[in-house]
Amino acid sequence: MNQTIVSYLSKYEFYKTLLDLFGGNESLLAFVIYLIAALVVILVCATIGGFGTYAERKISADLQARMGPNRVGPYGLLQVLADGIKMITKEDIMPFAADKFLFYLAPLLALVGVFATLAVVPWSSGFALTDLNVGVFYLIAISSLVGLGIFLGGYASNSKWSMLGGMRGASQIISYEIPVTLSVLAIVLMAGGMSFGTIVGQQKGLPFNWYLFHNPFTFIGFFVYFTGALAETNRAPFDLPEAESELVSGYHTEYTGMRFGFFALAEYIEIFVVCGVAAALFLGGSNLPININIDILPLQFVEIIIFITKTLLLYYVVIWIRWTLPRLRVDQLMSICWKYLTPIAIFNLVGCAIWMVAFNGRSLADLIIGH
Amino acid sequence: MFVQILFGLSALLTISCVIGVVATRNIMHSCVFLLGTLLGVAGLYATLGADFVAVTQIMVYVGGVVILMLFAVMLTGGKDFVSKAQNLLGLAPTMGNKWTYSLAGLVALVFVLTNVKLLSNIITDAGPKTFGNEMPSTVSQLGHLLVKDHVLAFELSSVLLLGALVGAAIIARPKKKQ
Repeated sequence: MNQTIVSYLSKYEFYKTLLDLFGGNESLLAFVIYLIAALVVILVCATIGGFGTYAERKISADLQARMGPNRVGPYGLLQVLADGIKMITKEDIMPFAADKFLFYLAPLLALVGVFATLAVVPWSSGFALTDLNVGVFYLIAISSLVGLGIFLGGYASNSKWSMLGGMRGASQIISYEIPVTLSVLAIVLMAGGMSFGTIVGQQKGLPFNWYLFHNPFTFIGFFVYFTGALAETNRAPFDLPEAESELVSGYHTEYTGMRFGFFALAEYIEIFVVCGVAAALFLGGSNLPININIDILPLQFVEIIIFITKTLLLYYVVIWIRWTLPRLRVDQLMSICWKYLTPIAIFNLVGCAIWMVAFNGRSLADLIIGH
Repeated sequence: MFVQILFGLSALLTISCVIGVVATRNIMHSCVFLLGTLLGVAGLYATLGADFVAVTQIMVYVGGVVILMLFAVMLTGGKDFVSKAQNLLGLAPTMGNKWTYSLAGLVALVFVLTNVKLLSNIITDAGPKTFGNEMPSTVSQLGHLLVKDHVLAFELSSVLLLGALVGAAIIARPKKKQ
């Protein structure tokens, strides 16, 4: 049975009081809890996505010795709200020769694909919406909807720039799925399960228990995963689908107002999700840095803060890379994926398997310190 | 209850999108409706407790096959592509007349009735277990079966896939200049 937020809360006394309130109807209570939890997660993530645009501008300004947004509210923090209002009130332009159905559908597909991944993000040991047995696999599978949204958006706009951007986006996302999946597979192999609960649960304690430092292969695997994740979310130096110097704005050239906003929001939330997955798979996820065996509700909130801190640090690195490295060419992009990352990821997978057999699954630190 | 409603919604999505696939005249829209159908089927698997199969369905069909179909349609002419081919009755492939419709209807009826007859004892035996909230982990069971009982089929299909991969690479390889 899958561990969910409902099964976690049912351990506590107040769950029984709530159950009495709903007349003993467990199904209805579970529905209400899921509804509230899903609303909270989506609202929080939409806010994080919105502030992602603010962070992007502020950090890029820092890196380029500028001020960045500083007019709306303290430190320009309300810039997000101003942008949102601007996007909603803008005219919604539909190109004359566009495919209307697909044009409307594409941004929704991108956004739905990202929101669906939030179901398995391991916020803490108890507060993940659901801890599916196939968690990592589900996340990789459902996020391919984003690529489809980008591709259809490019096709439906009936513009050469959008078309090129959409095709680049789809081919890039399909290609980079392979090294990313292979490096995730190495971690699944070591944890012995595909659920985030199992994977995060194996990395309890001090940082040298993290899978990043487990053995040399996972250390390389983290960087393979991170590079591939950058490409999958169309971030620089892999932002070819929206390369502004050649394609105007790529697949969302023809989109205006909130439809463009959906694409932008999907991109920023997806960065948050892939950074969260990197934190959960390699950096110990929501585990406390010390080993304690008490399970009380306030501890869950501490775990959430730890998880979000790790994720936002990676988020910072993603933005930092964007404003540091120049964009690649298409052929360089493909040769990096197929000639370098994929062989390295396969090597890592085989290396991890050999390590597990040779050292009985013990980590490098354990071998040095332990007996 | 919750799972039953989700099962119903998945079934509704599957059926309505299937109708969309055959009703629309735009082949790109057909592909997108097919996407909805495949997602609906994944939902059916998930609500019946086959979580791994459901996710594999999404991974293979949504992430691979539908994108491949969209690419193929687009690169071979997109929605403006009209086939000049005719079928046995001298009709365009997308057209039909009352004979083809009634024949297809008869075949579908026979097919459905045969399936219902075959599955009748499963349908009548379907207790609350089928719809239960508990979903046993199918991942480890599948893994054990794949490397124990069905290891020959597993290895053979991997060789087949490798052959397909090599074949595709050979076909796509640029020809050497003489």
